[in-house]
Amino acid sequence: MDRTLKRRLEARLGAQIQGPIRQRHDQTEIRIQPGDVPDVLRTLHDSVDLRFELLADLAGVDTGNEMQVVYHLWSETSPDWLRIIAEPLSREDPRCPSATFLWTGAEWLEREAYDMFGIVFEGNRDLRRIFMPPDYTSFPLRKDFLLPDDAARSPGEGVRNVERPFAPAVVADDPAAGIRRAPAS
Amino acid sequence: MPTRPVRTNSRPKQRPPEQHRSEDDPRIMLDREVSADLYEPIPPYPTRTEREAEFYTIGDGEMFLNLGPQHPATHGVLRLVLKLSGEQIVDVDPVLGYLHRGVEKICENSDYYHVIDQVDPLEYASALFQEWAAVLAFEKLMDVEVPPRAEYIRVLSAELLRISSHTLFMGFLALDMGGLTPILYSFIERDEIVEMLAALTGARMLFNYFRIGGVNGDLNHEFMSRLGDWMSRAAKQTEANTGLLNENEIFVRRARGVGVMDREMALRFGVTGGNLRASGVPFDVRRAHPYSVYPQLDFNVPTRLEGDSLARYLIRMDEVRESIKIIDQCLNNMPDGPVMAKLPRLLRPHPGRAWGAVEGPRGMLGVYAISDGTDQPFRFRIHDPSFMNLEVVPHLLPGNLLADTMAIVSSLDPIMGGIDK
Repeated sequence: MDRTLKRRLEARLGAQIQGPIRQRHDQTEIRIQPGDVPDVLRTLHDSVDLRFELLADLAGVDTGNEMQVVYHLWSETSPDWLRIIAEPLSREDPRCPSATFLWTGAEWLEREAYDMFGIVFEGNRDLRRIFMPPDYTSFPLRKDFLLPDDAARSPGEGVRNVERPFAPAVVADDPAAGIRRAPAS
Repeated sequence: MPTRPVRTNSRPKQRPPEQHRSEDDPRIMLDREVSADLYEPIPPYPTRTEREAEFYTIGDGEMFLNLGPQHPATHGVLRLVLKLSGEQIVDVDPVLGYLHRGVEKICENSDYYHVIDQVDPLEYASALFQEWAAVLAFEKLMDVEVPPRAEYIRVLSAELLRISSHTLFMGFLALDMGGLTPILYSFIERDEIVEMLAALTGARMLFNYFRIGGVNGDLNHEFMSRLGDWMSRAAKQTEANTGLLNENEIFVRRARGVGVMDREMALRFGVTGGNLRASGVPFDVRRAHPYSVYPQLDFNVPTRLEGDSLARYLIRMDEVRESIKIIDQCLNNMPDGPVMAKLPRLLRPHPGRAWGAVEGPRGMLGVYAISDGTDQPFRFRIHDPSFMNLEVVPHLLPGNLLADTMAIVSSLDPIMGGIDK
């Protein structure tokens, strides 16, 4: 755990950080609003005392209630990995600013998050499917995409068509929908 | 008899008028009447994004060429759509997904022990590293203390596999440039290591050896005798193998100055591993974010400044030498004790998040795991270095000749099993 990183982040980002900064093992975690993503990433990348130069990972997450975009960054100024969670994105129309203005390599990572979760990254000039065929309409890693043999969790005991269109017809709070949800944290 | 509507996944074939249409482009001659039944235009659907429209608009004297997906030199099923002007590459559009099998989804529907053998086939040439990343993330999630002997065995087996993977890389790089001999030598080397690991783990390629909290089995006599046998001549054999290429003028002149990636570019693209270190950034997860027993081991992180294909090859050969050093230290410092921590049969970690990253032969392998308190990971994100390394290809190739495509792609060492997940 890097206590000085916590102080530096508080000094640089201030009110853009939502909630407490959490630190565990070799990871420091902050939460931000999706709208602040370009500002925060720019600050983290350019500040002389932070210099987070390498985008280690960009992942989409579907918590069952909302969507998140999770960034992992590396800097030589800190022994910690920095995790940035941009939330909440709505499950019906998830939109998040793109990180390609800073890291061109985020382009494919965002394409993957779009392919798997349907998260639209505004500013990415190549946002198309990357693994699935171009005429595919479902988003496989969403929690309402159930595997056909997952009889324990599937409301149809594993026999109904599992692929869903972009906007799922299931009401998000319907307990009968059978969606696995993450606990609030 | 009433007819049932046919359910289909495909979206209705409508073209939004505002998007680019190749028929509207005056530069394109669509000789439909002549050859409509001879070829299918690329892509067979309306272009959707800015970049796609730019790429699939053909200029004066340009043509498309599909390299792959069943090309012998593409390291798996990678399809590169090349836009050529004469023999010069103008633009590249890699098409992925031929091996996509949804490993992340499968892992989210299997329990924590089961995940380890699901992630094995991702980087099939170096499976232990992907296991290690998953196991590392889970151990952080559950606060598991791994016995020191297990950590040393992990480092020992993984560094052996790194040597095997790098030797194989050397052979395939030469093969893609037209040299047949080195691959014969690299397969001799690899076969010895793989047989050694088969004695240790019971499998030749997909090991399923690491466990949450340790490894599956202790060192045995056959493994140790094979290892001792191999170590007695490993350094000498490595020098002999690298001599095949380092002193080959044809190889050196083809690889030098080709596909140059400078420091800024490598960082902007999130390239890791030997490809990043060949561009002058000393980022090695074993040193930047020490895990396991690497802080106690003495080894260097070789870097180079050129950033071309030759530098990427030489970096890997330097790493082989460092790995031999590490194996030597592991054998000297190997402590006694158990190889597994005491854990319950059914793992239910507390809700939380963890990121574990290890340095694989191709770069940083990361796993982001979220637990929701059940026996299955709620989210299991796999970050593969080959995916990022391949992303640079469309930016490295333009301006080069078609014959250099494989000299560049192969020097980045992509593995399609990991890219397509």
